[in-house]
Amino acid sequence: MKLKFRAPIATAIAMAVGIVVLLGYFVPAAKPLHFLFLRIGMVLAAVTLLVGVFNLLFVHIRKMSPKDSNGVYSFILVLALLITLGVGIFDIYKSYQPGTSSFEWSNWIFTYIQLPIETSLFAVMTVSLTYAAAHLLRRKQDFLTISFFFVVLLIFLGTLSLPIIDVPVFEDIYSWIISVPALGGARGLLLGIALGTIATGLRILTGSDRPYGG
Amino acid sequence: MTVTGLVGLIIVGSFLGMMIIFNVVKSGSTEVKLRPIPAYTKIKRAIGLAVEDGSQLHVSLGRGGVTNSQSASAFVGLSMMEQIVRIASSGDHPPVATTGNAALAILAQDTIRGAYKAINLEESDTSAAGELVGLTPFSYAVGTLSTMQGGEVSASLLAGWYGSEITWLTTAGERTNNFTLAGTAHLPAQAIMYAAASETLIGEELFAGGAYLGAGSMHEASLSTQDVFRWVIVGGILMGIILKFVGFGPLIQDLLAGTP
Repeated sequence: MKLKFRAPIATAIAMAVGIVVLLGYFVPAAKPLHFLFLRIGMVLAAVTLLVGVFNLLFVHIRKMSPKDSNGVYSFILVLALLITLGVGIFDIYKSYQPGTSSFEWSNWIFTYIQLPIETSLFAVMTVSLTYAAAHLLRRKQDFLTISFFFVVLLIFLGTLSLPIIDVPVFEDIYSWIISVPALGGARGLLLGIALGTIATGLRILTGSDRPYGG
Repeated sequence: MTVTGLVGLIIVGSFLGMMIIFNVVKSGSTEVKLRPIPAYTKIKRAIGLAVEDGSQLHVSLGRGGVTNSQSASAFVGLSMMEQIVRIASSGDHPPVATTGNAALAILAQDTIRGAYKAINLEESDTSAAGELVGLTPFSYAVGTLSTMQGGEVSASLLAGWYGSEITWLTTAGERTNNFTLAGTAHLPAQAIMYAAASETLIGEELFAGGAYLGAGSMHEASLSTQDVFRWVIVGGILMGIILKFVGFGPLIQDLLAGTP
């Protein structure tokens, strides 16, 4: 007979660690264990990063097939990953040599490749947001959507600083929206999210939700 | 123990106690009454359609970590994904999950494996079903786009922690005419989702996902507990207004600051 011990043990460990970490927020005596478990958690999270990168690599190696229309992107991803890894290892080796600046090539990749790409993507995002705003009223035509659209419009008008058009009333409306309905609404949403977060955490602590294969 | 610590412990303890009581009460009843949330009705329909036409469902779990305050929405996403995997298990293609966090990718694979085991289906390789697609916000969005725009995906559930990069994912869903249900705990991203997604989960609606997808009586019990606590908070706010009005403002400030 094959006994299955893994699931109950994993659940018991997760529950025990979770309860200690939670108590650490309220009971000072539980603080040392709380910080110990958090530190272990952070080290484990760093290890999972390595596992995740290997997963990314293997999944995209598998996708590099001529049949897959996105296979070329997977090839570029694998190539870029391997080059960056090689450069990183080379920089680590060089950092042990006397008189050389540390991580010169890694910094070069970050400054001249990753940063411009991410900045360009950020710029493209404004186009996506404009597209979404333009299509909003076409997709939904209920009271909430129309209100949402006009509030966004008023906020824009209140924050724009055009030299020709300077209407103080828009600034007043903007200030009122930000400090009264938007603040109240955000607080209401955050209270709901906080309650949902507590419920989710307690479900995991009691073992009714087991996102760890238990 | 400080006053804040004691109050926190009482709140968490009473929340847990109430969840257990509601769970015991609800486990005996067969009928569950939940207020209708159209987004969940539509995602159930989308799951059914995907099973019928042999297409694939995509679950995006965001890029929040598991060791910080962003984790709750990702855990709800995992819980919803488990239900989706179970419901869609008879389909041709298993659901695919994308994340921007390595630990979440492992948990997603584990959840998919666990869901298959629970329904006695053997899925030998789940590494491609729970995929880490990128570690920065934009690389995550770009990686997820290629999955969403893949020919087999017919509906996407975006449940996790996102920033403004969510606009790409929701817009992509609209362009491909695929149903997109999006929910997050991040308020600016919620506003973007409202503007661009087919259906949006506002505020705590995201955390009700398990109850609406049939994840068990504890999910329904936690919804009832949240309702009770919401009324307690409403009462507390009204009481605070009255006390401040009659001149107890400094006392309320001391209580909120946790000083006796």
